[in-house]
Amino acid sequence: MKISDLLKLSTDNLRRRKGRTLLTLIGVVIGTCLIVVMISLGIAIGKQNEEMLRSYGDLTKIQIYNYSYGGTTENSPPKLDDAMLETLKAIPHVIAATPQYRPQNLGGQIYAGKNDRYQAYMDVMGMDPASLQAMGVTMLSGQYLTGEEVLGKNKIPVIVGENYAYSFEDTRKSYNSGKRYVYQGMVDAQGNPVPPFVDINKDKLTLRMSNYDETNPKTREYELVVMGVMKSDYNVGYYTDSGIVMSIANVKKLEEAYQKLTGSKNNGGGVIISGSGGVMREQDNGYQEVYLKVDDVDNVADVENAVKDLGYTEIGSMTQVREQLQAEVRKQQMTLGGLAAVSLLVAALNIANTMTMAIYERTKEIGVMKVLGCPLGKIRGMFLVESGAIGFIGGIVGVVISYIVSFVLNNLQTIIAFLGIQQNMDSMNNMGGMVDPMMATSQSSIIPPWLVLLAIAFATLVGLLSGVVPANRAVKISALEAIRHE
Amino acid sequence: MNPIIRVEHLRKVYRVGKEKVVALNDVSLSILPGEVCCIVGASGSGKSTLLNQLAGLEKPTRGRVLIGRHEISAMTENELAAFRQAHLGFIFQSYNLLPNLTAAENVALPLMFKGVPRKQRQKMAVEQLKLMGLAKRAGHKPTEMSGGQQQRVGIARAFVTRPKVIFADEPTGNLDTKTTRQVLRSMLEMAKEHGITFVMVTHEKDLAGIADRVITIQDGNVLSDVVVGDAEKAANRAALFDSLEEQSPAEPVAAVPAGAEPEGTAANKTEKKRGV
Repeated sequence: MKISDLLKLSTDNLRRRKGRTLLTLIGVVIGTCLIVVMISLGIAIGKQNEEMLRSYGDLTKIQIYNYSYGGTTENSPPKLDDAMLETLKAIPHVIAATPQYRPQNLGGQIYAGKNDRYQAYMDVMGMDPASLQAMGVTMLSGQYLTGEEVLGKNKIPVIVGENYAYSFEDTRKSYNSGKRYVYQGMVDAQGNPVPPFVDINKDKLTLRMSNYDETNPKTREYELVVMGVMKSDYNVGYYTDSGIVMSIANVKKLEEAYQKLTGSKNNGGGVIISGSGGVMREQDNGYQEVYLKVDDVDNVADVENAVKDLGYTEIGSMTQVREQLQAEVRKQQMTLGGLAAVSLLVAALNIANTMTMAIYERTKEIGVMKVLGCPLGKIRGMFLVESGAIGFIGGIVGVVISYIVSFVLNNLQTIIAFLGIQQNMDSMNNMGGMVDPMMATSQSSIIPPWLVLLAIAFATLVGLLSGVVPANRAVKISALEAIRHE
Repeated sequence: MNPIIRVEHLRKVYRVGKEKVVALNDVSLSILPGEVCCIVGASGSGKSTLLNQLAGLEKPTRGRVLIGRHEISAMTENELAAFRQAHLGFIFQSYNLLPNLTAAENVALPLMFKGVPRKQRQKMAVEQLKLMGLAKRAGHKPTEMSGGQQQRVGIARAFVTRPKVIFADEPTGNLDTKTTRQVLRSMLEMAKEHGITFVMVTHEKDLAGIADRVITIQDGNVLSDVVVGDAEKAANRAALFDSLEEQSPAEPVAAVPAGAEPEGTAANKTEKKRGV
C-alpha cells in the first residue's frame, strides 16, 4: 500500500463527513488562533517592556542620590565629594564614577554669530572626563575631553550633543514670526531640512554671565571651545543629544566666577542661595547625583551592596526595575498562555471525540479492510493522517486568522477612526496631528515567523496525539466482529 | 496430491458468560488444491466457526490449521494480514462493499493493499468487473446497485488478486433463487478457470451439490466428508444452471446487461430484508 493511497483514503474520509470535519476544524482553528494571539500579546508586552527599560538607560549603571533636603543628621549619608568619588571608584567592578554636576547657582547665556545674534540658555554639565567613554559616550567628530587641554585664559574646552546647535534662537526675529526657532527635523516649503542657525564646529561660542544690576552692570565672558560632538544616544543620557559637557573643574571655576559676579557666596558649608532663587541648600553635602559604571550586569548587585555599606540608601539601578518588570511580564505571559492552552486542550478532546466517532461509524469498513489484508499499520496510519490533517489544516487557518486579529489589534485606533466614529475623530484631531512616538512604534500584538511555524507544528502534533488512542482502538477491533457490526 | 488446507483436531470453545459453548468439538479434514468445497450444516452447527478458523479470523482453542505449509492458527495479526493479502480472498454474505467507493474502487481495494499502482489496479478492476458482466457499473456506488450486482462486485474483489484460496460465507444468502444461481455459477466458473481452491459455507443442500467435496458439520463435528462423483456433479449443476441457459443462451452471467436486471432490484430487496 502506497503513501499516496493512504493519504487519498484519509482525505476522502474527511471529505465524506464535511459537517463534522468542519466543526472539528473550527475547534482547532479557535485553539490555534487563541494560542498565537495570546503569545503574540505576550511577546508585544515583553518587547514594550524591553524598549521601556532601554529608554531608562544602561543596565550596568548605578545612580547614587544624595539629596539632603531635610538637613543633615547623624544618620545622613556621608558627604558625596571628590574624596568619596575616589572611594567609590575603588569598589571592585566599578570602572568609572562621575557626578553629572549641574550647579543651581550658575546663570548665563551662550552667544554665537555676528553681534551675538544667536543665543542659547546656558545649561552646562560637569563630568569626569575620564569617565566619558565608560559611560557610553561616543564621539561623532572631534575628540573626548581629557581635562588637560591647554587653550589659554578664559577659554573652556567643551563637548556638545549631536543636536546642540538647535538650542540657539535668532534674537532678531519676533517670537510670533515662527522664524525665531529651528528645531530638529524642521523642513522648509520645498521639503528640505532647515539647518540650525549656528555651525557648532566653526562659529565662535561665547559664554557671558551678568550680575543683572542695572546701576552697576558687570559681565564676565568665556569662550567655549568645542573639542568634539557626541553621538546622540538617549540610553546614555539626553546630554549626548542637546547638552554641553565640560570638566567638573571648569564648572566649578564658572560657579566661583558667577558667585563673585553676583555676590552670592559659598561660605564653606554655610547657606547657599542659588542665583535664580530656585533651590535652597542648607548645607553643602557634595554632589547630588553620582553615576557608577559596573563592568558586568551580574556584578551590579554586589556593587550596590558595597555602596549601601558606605551609608548611601537611595540607589537606583535598572537591575532592580528590570527584575521586577520581567517577573511581572512573565506572569502576564503565563496567564495568557494558560488561557490559550486550555482552549487547545478542548480542541484536542474534540479531535479525539471525532476520531472515536469515526471509528464507531467505520467499524465495519475497518473489519473489511482487515479481512482483505490491509496491514494493521496502515489502518493506524489512516486514522493518524486524518487527525493530523485536521490539526495541520486547523493550524494553518488559525494562523491566518491570527494575523487578521493581530492586524486589527495593532490598528484599532485607525480602524475606529476609519469607521467614522465622530467622537474619536475629534479627539484625534485635537491632538493636532502630533503623533505620540510610543503609540506609533509599539504594537500590541507581534507574530514572529517562529511562532507561525511553532503554532502549525503544535496544532498538527495535537491532532496526531489525539488520534493515537482512537487509531490504536481501530487496530484492535476484531476483524470478525467488525464485519458482523451493523 | 498434497492437500492445500489441512485441519487437525480443531476445537473451538466460546465463553458466553459463565457458560462454555463448544462450537467445534474435534474437527479434522483436508481440502485439495483447486477443489470446490462446500461446508454444509444447520444453523448453529459450527460451520461458520469452521470457516472463520480456516481463514484465520479467529484463533482456535486447540488444534491447528495449515494452508499450504503455513500454520495460520499460529500467526500474529500482522502476519495474517500479510498472508491474507497474498494468498486469500473473501466473499461475504452481506457483500461488505465500502459505501463511499465505486464498484471499480472496491474491486481494486485488495490490489491497493498489495501496492499495485493506481492506474494499473483500476484497469484490472474494470477488467474483472467486465468478466462479471458489470462493465457499465464500474463507476457506480454500491447504494446504486442491486443486491445481485453488489455481490458480483464482491466476487470480483475476491477474484481480482487471483488468490490461492477463496472463502465464501453464505455468499448467496441474501439473494433470490435466480440471482443465487447466476452468482453461484460465475463463482464456480472463475474458480475452475484459474484453479483457485474455493471453500463455501451454505445451509442449502441443493447448492452444495455442485461442489467437488461436501463436508457436513453437525454439533461441532464432521458428520460426513464426501467427494461427489463426476456424474452426480454434472447432474446437480445441470439442474441448477440449465434454467439460466434458456433465458440467455450465450454467456449467461456475463451477458446479462446491467440495466436489464429488474428481477434483482425488486426481488432482492424483499429477499434482503428477510435475510437480515
